[in-house]
Amino acid sequence: MQEFLQLVVSGISTGAIFASLALALVLIYNAMGLVNFAQGEMAMFATFIAYTLVNAGMSFWIAFPVTMVLAFGGGILIQRVVIRPVERAPVLTLVIITLGLATLVNGVAGFLWGYVPRSFASPFSPDSVDLGGVFISYRDLGVIAVSGLVLLAIYLLLQHTTVGLTLRAAAHHPEASRLLGVHVSWMLALGWGLASAVGAVSGMMVAPILLLEPNMMQTIIIYAFAAAVLGGIESPLGAVVGGLLVGVTVNLAGAYIPNAGDLQLAFGLGIIILVLILKPNGLFGRAATRRV
Amino acid sequence: MTALLELENVRAGYGSTSVLHGVSLSVLEGQVVSLLGANGAGKTTTLRAITGGVRWTGDIRFAGRSLRRTGTEDVVRRGIAHVPEGRGICTELTVDENLKLGSHLRRDKAEVAKDYDRVFEYFPVLKERRRLSASTLSGGEQQMLALARALLMRPRLMLLDEPSLGLAPIVVRSIFEIIRSINQTSDVAVLLVEQNARIALDLSSSAYVLEVGRVAVHGASAELQDNESVRRSYLGY
Repeated sequence: MQEFLQLVVSGISTGAIFASLALALVLIYNAMGLVNFAQGEMAMFATFIAYTLVNAGMSFWIAFPVTMVLAFGGGILIQRVVIRPVERAPVLTLVIITLGLATLVNGVAGFLWGYVPRSFASPFSPDSVDLGGVFISYRDLGVIAVSGLVLLAIYLLLQHTTVGLTLRAAAHHPEASRLLGVHVSWMLALGWGLASAVGAVSGMMVAPILLLEPNMMQTIIIYAFAAAVLGGIESPLGAVVGGLLVGVTVNLAGAYIPNAGDLQLAFGLGIIILVLILKPNGLFGRAATRRV
Repeated sequence: MTALLELENVRAGYGSTSVLHGVSLSVLEGQVVSLLGANGAGKTTTLRAITGGVRWTGDIRFAGRSLRRTGTEDVVRRGIAHVPEGRGICTELTVDENLKLGSHLRRDKAEVAKDYDRVFEYFPVLKERRRLSASTLSGGEQQMLALARALLMRPRLMLLDEPSLGLAPIVVRSIFEIIRSINQTSDVAVLLVEQNARIALDLSSSAYVLEVGRVAVHGASAELQDNESVRRSYLGY
């Protein structure tokens, strides 16, 4: 039982990382009806920036928000330079462009920092806290707290500010929003900026667990896809719940199914396929409506 | 009286299909003007041209300034509220959020609060349903929401595209009464596109009838109503 609880808590911790990246995917999906395949690579790139700042002597807790701001700006820049010129292109064109962007970002990171895995020091203490026999590591708790705060901030921004309202309106009803004076194109850029910043959090949280190298996010992005699809791809809340569910499930499966380590990724893909077959709208998605 | 909105020889269309072949019309400050005509005559396209939803040539001036090369968002910010065909309700959002989108650009907080009071006086049903998703509203209630939201933008001109469409006659009457009241109490000019010529002419002081992208008839609403041949050939009643 104690082992089970420990696995659940560390599953929640991994899940919080998936949730951040899944939320990034959902933000962009809502803005343009398209999955951004470069999301993981953008997060990896941001993490390298954080790594460089920390190596230059900056404290992690300063490098963290600085990286988020840089990632935010980078997301806006990518939307303006790469995505905006092809905004009205068919979805397949955009998919190919985000795939190309993923390769490009990966290559640039490799060029700048090389492919040798680097260790990224965790900002949290390696100790554990004993809660009635259940040992929970501060690292897990730290990841849960930081991710939780960031997700809460995004929630408050989207649901309780005017900018959030116009962002949601622009994403779902671009034509109607224009007639209400909302600058839709800039809202889409803002969506990319936010997605990029939230994605960067997942990268900075996962880097101390894995090792930092250009391909670091390639497994994480599969789980994030699974989480986003499970949550209904359009729902920010769904992405978070989906992320936590995927994190806990993968963690438990890894511990209780013998030799499951090799199957973990297949497990993530399995979730995507199962959800799409059994419940295509996910847990929080609405009945499918097409944007025309 | 000066013209608030002036269209001068406006041509517009979609791709290679041209819909408007030189439309000229004007709306005075505080005036209600009807834009009538059969399906496909170019009524909706005229409104879309004004708010930049379709490319046009010629000239469109609002409050003395040309709207040439002005994006939809910026046309709207100059003081034109456009309630489009299908009402443009954000069904993913709540009633309250839709209303907030109407007032989100305004900084005069006290005046906004007054306008909310007025809106809820006109449409008490919206107050009751503030927290509900706009998708749960009936057609008539959605039309009310669209009007309320336009009112909260505190525009100088409202473009209304078929506010009677798909509504029961009794609802249509009450909505037109409210449009009349909005026009009179806040001095908002209205350019009204309608299939229902009778009710539109009752409300407006001046009217234009479009036929295949051109102004076929123009005159005071009362004259058009009394002119037997105009009524028969263009208005169908």
